[in-house]
Amino acid sequence: MNRDTIKKREISGRIKVDRDKCIGCLGCMSACIVSHDGHSPRNRVVISSDKVSSPIFCQNCDLPECTYTCMCGAMHIDPATGFVLYDADQCGSCYMCVMGCPYGVLRMNKIDGKISKCDMCVSDRNGQPQCVDRCPMGAIAVERGVQA
Amino acid sequence: MRHLIIGASAAGLNAAKTLRHLDPNAEITILSKDEVIHSRCVLHHYLKGKRDLAGLNFVGQDFITEQKLNWKKGVQVTKVDTGKSEVALADGSVVGYDKLLLAAGSSTAFPAGIKNLREAKSGVLGFRNINDAQAIKELAGQANVQNIVVMGAGLVGVDAVDGLLGFGKNISLVESFSHILNRQLDMRAARPYEQAFAMAGVKQYYGTKITELVLDDAGAVKQAELGSGIRIPCDLFIVTSGIKPNVGFLEGSGIALGQTGLDFDGYGKTNIENVFGAGDISGRSPIWPAAVKEGIIAAYNMVGRPLEQTDFFASKATMNFQSVATMSLGLPESPDDSYTVEVDEDQAGNYKKIIHKNGEIVGAIVQGDLSYAGILTQLIREKIDVSKIKKPLFKVDYSDFFGEFVF
Repeated sequence: MNRDTIKKREISGRIKVDRDKCIGCLGCMSACIVSHDGHSPRNRVVISSDKVSSPIFCQNCDLPECTYTCMCGAMHIDPATGFVLYDADQCGSCYMCVMGCPYGVLRMNKIDGKISKCDMCVSDRNGQPQCVDRCPMGAIAVERGVQA
Repeated sequence: MRHLIIGASAAGLNAAKTLRHLDPNAEITILSKDEVIHSRCVLHHYLKGKRDLAGLNFVGQDFITEQKLNWKKGVQVTKVDTGKSEVALADGSVVGYDKLLLAAGSSTAFPAGIKNLREAKSGVLGFRNINDAQAIKELAGQANVQNIVVMGAGLVGVDAVDGLLGFGKNISLVESFSHILNRQLDMRAARPYEQAFAMAGVKQYYGTKITELVLDDAGAVKQAELGSGIRIPCDLFIVTSGIKPNVGFLEGSGIALGQTGLDFDGYGKTNIENVFGAGDISGRSPIWPAAVKEGIIAAYNMVGRPLEQTDFFASKATMNFQSVATMSLGLPESPDDSYTVEVDEDQAGNYKKIIHKNGEIVGAIVQGDLSYAGILTQLIREKIDVSKIKKPLFKVDYSDFFGEFVF
């Protein structure tokens, strides 16, 4: 399946990362935890072999492997926003999505066995991704109005 | 345009959804034996009572109306006439089409080599769809059913065992290979599952086959005989050792079959114009994500937008039984000594193994915490050279491939 030949969906925004600006302060991870009731962060910052801080974020893919691998319908494209959202109640904790995510951003939550998945802070009272708001370097931004 | 889809599971419904996305005005009809939409991969949750019928629905309760689909459920297609572009149903009616998608899936294969397996009048079931699950649930709830034998310790068989634990019955699991889930796991990764099921009272017989079922006068199963000659009591015999594609209704249609089932190419095309295929009916890659993708791909090509399957990496799975999660990719064992095998384990039950050669990972097992492990799937699928990575392979992540692939 080629990304260029598929009919793209409307999406309200996507996180864009400028790795060169990242100083590895982990503020985005803290913001994510705070924004989601203290649960595990849904993003992370890792160090590459060349010692470069690299923020890894859900990309709300055009070809979302997590939705293709989900056998319960928990991972789904929200028709209103175009975001790939996750329904923990529908989730069967089979971890096929963790296996499918090519960026390796999905993790299992040890407390309840569910998945930690970016929801673009649709559940946050500020209504926009808090990792972006809290990044002191402007390394993380939302690309708005993307018709991907 | 009239699109007709046979089958209402992973491939068929994803095709229907994609067709609607591509053509808001198309007439889309689905024919299925299934009367309820259900995910065949979580039937064990239904057995356990952890999930009800509605909970098995994987597309949402209002899918059919939302997507404006015409769904004829509980019907059986008996014939395809590609000359007239119509299919015949068991009730004698016919349904015409402009484009046809064959996504009829597969069924339990009841092996011919086991004496009395096909002759048994009762007590023999597969574990493939909701009808099977309902029948098993009902039988397992009866007092006169005390002994249950599951044949085949692959993912489906282990699902069945896992789902039956709470019924308080004597469960035996019989597998011809040396250990549980042998296609996914090495002996080390199999151990926690074998131990957990043993603790739960499941008798496990590995490296042996069922040779015969002993029936009573009424044809009900009473015992199962193993290759060693041992007979184990059996009131319910569940066959989970293999599947066969549902291609019987294609006989005489001129639609070509391959070695394993329906033959279709990377665009979902069969040998007949306007007839497409997707999912388990091919008998090739009987895993959920393959069926989903093939359904999507077929839909694109049905509306004349060429989209090709590029992901042929289908030997992958995750599992979560008895609170132990495992991801298995590619080969569970090294093919020969020319490969490097790296192992990492700790006291908390985390076990990782990566098999590689010349910078190419060919197999990986991750057990315990699977977090972030998806990167390994990508590295194997795309045959990405990992030799340049300076950190341990177990620590590999997207940072070393930043911006190199986009989904």
